Amino acid sequence: MLLAVVLSSCAQAPDSGDALATAEYREINDPAEPTMRAVFGFNRVLDSAVLKPVSKTYRDIAPETIRMGVHNFLRNLRSPVIFINDVLQGEIDRAGVTLARFLINTTVGILGINDQAAEMGLDYHNEDFGQTLAIWGIEEGPYLMLPVFGPSSPRDTIGLVVDFFLDPLNLMAFNTDRRWITLSRQSANAVDFRSRHYDEIEDLEKSSLDYYAAIRSLYRQRRKDEIRNGSIAPLDNGPEINMNTDFPVSAINEELSERP
Amino acid sequence: MYRRHFLSLVAGLVFAIALLGPGPGARAGSLEEKAQQYIEDLSGQAIKSLTAKGLTRDERIKRFRTMFKERFAVRGIGKWILGRYWKKATPKERKDYLKLFEDLMVISYVDRFATYAGEQLQTTKTLPNNKTTVTVYTEIAQPDAGPPVRVDWRVGVKGDILKVVDVVVEGTSMSSTLRSDFGSIIRREGGSIAGLIKALREKTTSLRKQL
Repeated sequence: MLLAVVLSSCAQAPDSGDALATAEYREINDPAEPTMRAVFGFNRVLDSAVLKPVSKTYRDIAPETIRMGVHNFLRNLRSPVIFINDVLQGEIDRAGVTLARFLINTTVGILGINDQAAEMGLDYHNEDFGQTLAIWGIEEGPYLMLPVFGPSSPRDTIGLVVDFFLDPLNLMAFNTDRRWITLSRQSANAVDFRSRHYDEIEDLEKSSLDYYAAIRSLYRQRRKDEIRNGSIAPLDNGPEINMNTDFPVSAINEELSERP
Repeated sequence: MYRRHFLSLVAGLVFAIALLGPGPGARAGSLEEKAQQYIEDLSGQAIKSLTAKGLTRDERIKRFRTMFKERFAVRGIGKWILGRYWKKATPKERKDYLKLFEDLMVISYVDRFATYAGEQLQTTKTLPNNKTTVTVYTEIAQPDAGPPVRVDWRVGVKGDILKVVDVVVEGTSMSSTLRSDFGSIIRREGGSIAGLIKALREKTTSLRKQL
């Protein structure tokens, strides 16, 4: 049923004769775009009705130190999943950092509320199973907009599910029938994220012409950066100075005459 | 007749070499050093001119526009964002589009720029990409205790002239995001630049009203 809806509302593929349009269609890689836009619309309603007002109130009312403590606490809870993914990616040094951080912050840092490890030079990094799959050479696949969870891809959706079952706290909650633990933690994560990026999200929503397309691009760029662990991106063909239009001859003459 | 053409060709070449070649005594350090200096100057300029106290909003917008046009390769970026659609645009459409693109950038970033290029900018490294672009990698400390934000500045180089061609925040490129954003509108409008211009005009008008 759901599949039928997705398939019937696929984005119109361009005429196979138009090579440029076909290349563009492949690059966008969003074959179910109309459906994804509908899901995005649903997510935006949910955001403006619940997440955005809650995050704004939280940001306005809770002092910075409290919010930082909550952020650190939630991040520390993720440590086991990050550790497992470090190991699965063969990043033994980073796995060591994650383990040391977890041990230090859980004890000295009082259940992770204080990030003492960072002060010792052990900086936080994130990992997830979607990134691990990417390191293993799995392609990300077409763009997906998941209800509630937001932008994703088949690879990252699998990652999300696997990470859920790799997480000891989730498993404990699941096995002891205390689902509320998982639910509260996920809600807290959502509010934490939304409140920390409140201004950027507002700005993007305001200044973009097509919010959906801007988010799609940002999500993919962000994931690539996370997979690279923030190291230098491979060179692509970005913009360059346009000599003809950026510098009319008169402007260059002016610039030259100003030089000593 | 041929001789006159030949002479003007020679004159043109001499002029071009004079423009693109190293200026008299201008080789003060490598390209990387120049690009790094350029970004640090830009940061200093942003603090000095945008965060001055008692500045009216109009005056700040004016200052930012001047700085943006001077420091960013506005047309080069604008053209790249349109990609294959640039060729389809008429000269009038290109002119209108570039003006509206500049407006959108100025209105969208006037408040944010000082925080992105502000006081706590620290250069971590500078690396050449190719013959025409250098990237200056910086970290910008946040006002709260959070980790610094990575901001990479791509600087385009033509001879002695340097201009910013892209700003990459935590791995997300401003130019690439705009390319997806604008490209999506063009496709929605069936490949029409006029449709994009209309959307840009509506957007800049509504943003001005909110200021």
